[in-house]
Amino acid sequence: MTPGPLLLIAASSLAAGFVGGGRWSKTWLGLTLVGAAAGFWAALIILLGPPEWEWWSEFSVGGEFLHLRLDGLSALFLALLSLVGAAGAVYAREYWSDQRYPASAPRGRRWWSSLVLSMGMVLTTSNGLHFLMGWELFTVSAFFLITLDRQSREVRAAGWLYLAASHAGTVCLFAFFALLAARTGSWDLGPVREQVALAPLLWLALLGFGVKAGVFPLHVWLPSAHASAPSHVSAIMSGVAIKMGVYGIVRFSGWLPVPALAGWIVIAFGSLSALLGIAFAFAQNDYKRLLAYCSVENVGIILIGVGAALLAISHGDAPWGRLALAGALLHVWNHGAFKSLLFFSAGSVLHATGTREMSRLGGLWRTKPWTTGLFALGALAVSGLPPLNGFVSEWLVYLGLFDAVTGQGPAAGAAMLAAIMLGVAGALALASFVKAGAMIFLGAARTQATSKTHEGGWGMRAPMLALAAVCVAIGLAPVLFWPAVVRAVSVWHPVWAAADTTAPLVTLGWVHVAFAVSVLVAARFLWKRARQNGLSRALTWDCGYAAPTARMQYSGGSFAGIAAGWFAWILLPVTRRLRPRGPMPEQALQQQRIPETVLERVLAPAGDVIIQISTAVRRLQHGHLQSYIFYLVAGLAALSGFVCFGGKP
Amino acid sequence: MSTVIDIVFRLAWWLLLAPLLPGIINRIKAWVAGRRGPPVLQLYYDLARLWQKEVVLSTLASPGFVAGPAVGWISLTAAVLLIPLGPLGAGLSFRGDVVLMLYLLALARFCTTWAAMETGSAFEGMGSAREVSYAVLAEAAMIAAMLSLSVHTGSVSLTKMLEPTAGPGAVLLAAGLFTVLLAENCRVPFDDPNTHLELTMIHEAMVLDHSGPPLAVILHGASLKLLLFSVLLTEAVLPMGQLSPFAATGALLAGVLTVTIGVGLVESFLARFAFRRVPLLLTMAVLLCVFALLIAWKGGAA
Repeated sequence: MTPGPLLLIAASSLAAGFVGGGRWSKTWLGLTLVGAAAGFWAALIILLGPPEWEWWSEFSVGGEFLHLRLDGLSALFLALLSLVGAAGAVYAREYWSDQRYPASAPRGRRWWSSLVLSMGMVLTTSNGLHFLMGWELFTVSAFFLITLDRQSREVRAAGWLYLAASHAGTVCLFAFFALLAARTGSWDLGPVREQVALAPLLWLALLGFGVKAGVFPLHVWLPSAHASAPSHVSAIMSGVAIKMGVYGIVRFSGWLPVPALAGWIVIAFGSLSALLGIAFAFAQNDYKRLLAYCSVENVGIILIGVGAALLAISHGDAPWGRLALAGALLHVWNHGAFKSLLFFSAGSVLHATGTREMSRLGGLWRTKPWTTGLFALGALAVSGLPPLNGFVSEWLVYLGLFDAVTGQGPAAGAAMLAAIMLGVAGALALASFVKAGAMIFLGAARTQATSKTHEGGWGMRAPMLALAAVCVAIGLAPVLFWPAVVRAVSVWHPVWAAADTTAPLVTLGWVHVAFAVSVLVAARFLWKRARQNGLSRALTWDCGYAAPTARMQYSGGSFAGIAAGWFAWILLPVTRRLRPRGPMPEQALQQQRIPETVLERVLAPAGDVIIQISTAVRRLQHGHLQSYIFYLVAGLAALSGFVCFGGKP
Repeated sequence: MSTVIDIVFRLAWWLLLAPLLPGIINRIKAWVAGRRGPPVLQLYYDLARLWQKEVVLSTLASPGFVAGPAVGWISLTAAVLLIPLGPLGAGLSFRGDVVLMLYLLALARFCTTWAAMETGSAFEGMGSAREVSYAVLAEAAMIAAMLSLSVHTGSVSLTKMLEPTAGPGAVLLAAGLFTVLLAENCRVPFDDPNTHLELTMIHEAMVLDHSGPPLAVILHGASLKLLLFSVLLTEAVLPMGQLSPFAATGALLAGVLTVTIGVGLVESFLARFAFRRVPLLLTMAVLLCVFALLIAWKGGAA
């Protein structure tokens, strides 16, 4: 079977979902699942079977004939889109149910179909004009999904910021595709590596797609949009939508000739995003914002791999570039899986407690054992710890960087720095997720309101379990996923098409399996031993303090205090403090807010300056006819003076 | 089959010898202070006693409180299997095992800190916060150190990387790794394993609420980590691959003993640093390792 009919099935069921999804929720779910399954199947065919599928049609849209293409690279992203698209649709049925949100749930279903469909269109089309149409539809659908709960002022602000930032990026893409079409003479997209004059266009693409990918410092829209959106939307935004930016960068750096500087820039901004993204994440109190900033970090990791691959190409196709790129592309899948899982867990907490502040939560493991376990798994995966999937992809990137360093080529210095940054980012990610897990799920409930909660139903648990299974599967058997990744790598750079690998994935897989088994056995054995010796429960010992209260627990702010202090130069925390006074202090208070530095300290002041200038200029236009006549006379006088004194117009 | 026997045999050595190190350190400290000190085998007695003891769990603790130590211990055990033993090679060696080793140590850290946070105790929160924060700098130093070994040997596998001496940067690397060893194993001047002022501790503060077999597992894991770092440091400095098996074994034992005595002497003559100064010392360790890396990179090319 070729992907054509499958893609047709996928597109038509999603389109039908968009039309009928408002009223019939069960039919909509069925249609979305069918669409996702068909899309997934089509992607699998390309990843494992014939390498490419291309289709020209007589049917034209906007004056251009439809031209579809599915190759290894787009299929990799399509598989992720199908997975998260389906998981989110199932999750939303309970999370954003018709009973709880009678007005916005039907709207949410429609836009979900539209979002998945438009992202699929972006991935499959091979025509610049249609790419832009799909891109715009995708941006707008995401906007409506983010603002589903539009009563809230915060949500509306986040939505507008997202829309504005996305369009700033889209402007670059418009310029990019228009210039590309003008220079090549056709809107059709495809490899044009030999036309060296096109190289500067890649900068436009990097900028435009960089905004969508959330690369630091273009990430300003990302934290608030991902935090304020409903959690299933955050999951697809973080898991898939920002990957569309990554797709754009990878796609066009593979098709266009690459400027010599591009590899350096990409690896530099990748390292910067990885380090600063996770530093911001660690300091957050809102757990969904923490997850959002962590996405900035992971996009950074992906770009480190892509940048290293670009450097490798410009230094004689060194094989380490292949490893780094494979790691980056596998990380696209991995991040899609564990970040969606984490956002689903976050949604489950939000659904039950109604707060996004970690300082109000705690001790949820008792009422939400499933969510706790799944969040812990996601936390291990996102911290890149063995034996889960996050480690496999980071390991591949590390291996690429280490090889680049031992090769002692011109890129060795950059690779060294990137590897150290990656290590620091990994340690900070671990710190962030110990903090998040501990503040939300462990210890005692910090407020009364959140002490009585419920576990999510199977509708929410099932998609989380599915994603967790993906994380475990990629971790334990990475070699099974290697051919798919190599297919994508070989599309990007055909020289690297060989299936063999210098990364011992089989050994790693066996080590992971053995490790996982020993962990299970050891935990069970220790538990049994403890029970045998006699188990009793008592108050937390805490060095003998007999009356501990939940408010005495370590807070997230204190937990992050040490390391966040090292980054205070960029985090610029805003602190409000009321010190306790006198022998019997009546009140004391400390509040800390971590602003989005680039947005609030750079963009907003710049915007203010522009508005001030505009306001000053606007004084010239005030509606007084006399003054306008005076402008005319003065202008004429100036011109005549200019001519009289010998000026040539 | 022979590999399985080999691995079991190696593990037995690692696991049995590890608790000896804290005993030696305590002996050194006692000797310097002119005390008699606890027996060298004290930790073995403690472990045996704890293994028999009953467990008191905090009312707030979830099953993760017991699972954490178990997972942490397994990850440390897996990490030592990746460390080569001179001419014997490693129990398990493949390209990129060095990254796995670093991340297994990170997994152990995740488990210890997660288990510590289970109890809702502020002391343990404090300990975990310090542990994860200082690890950020230690991780940077470790990556730089491993990169310098990689550059020097042109390999990404620990067996090859630890074969020759670390070259002209060996002194810098040894100083950097020794500092990281002190920080990661919570020794003076970063932490004081003897203190009972909970406010000033890292590792001890994290395990305040553990008891019985889980505590035994944690203590054993900590000694295993100390042994791992001492072996790593010794092998990075000494040219293990060029010695005959007997000489190598002797050199390894002597090296580990030297490191242990060094830790004991540092602990005897230095006071614990104020926590404000800890990041500075760790930054120095990072710089030492980075300079070792630069020497390996630029010096090797010349």
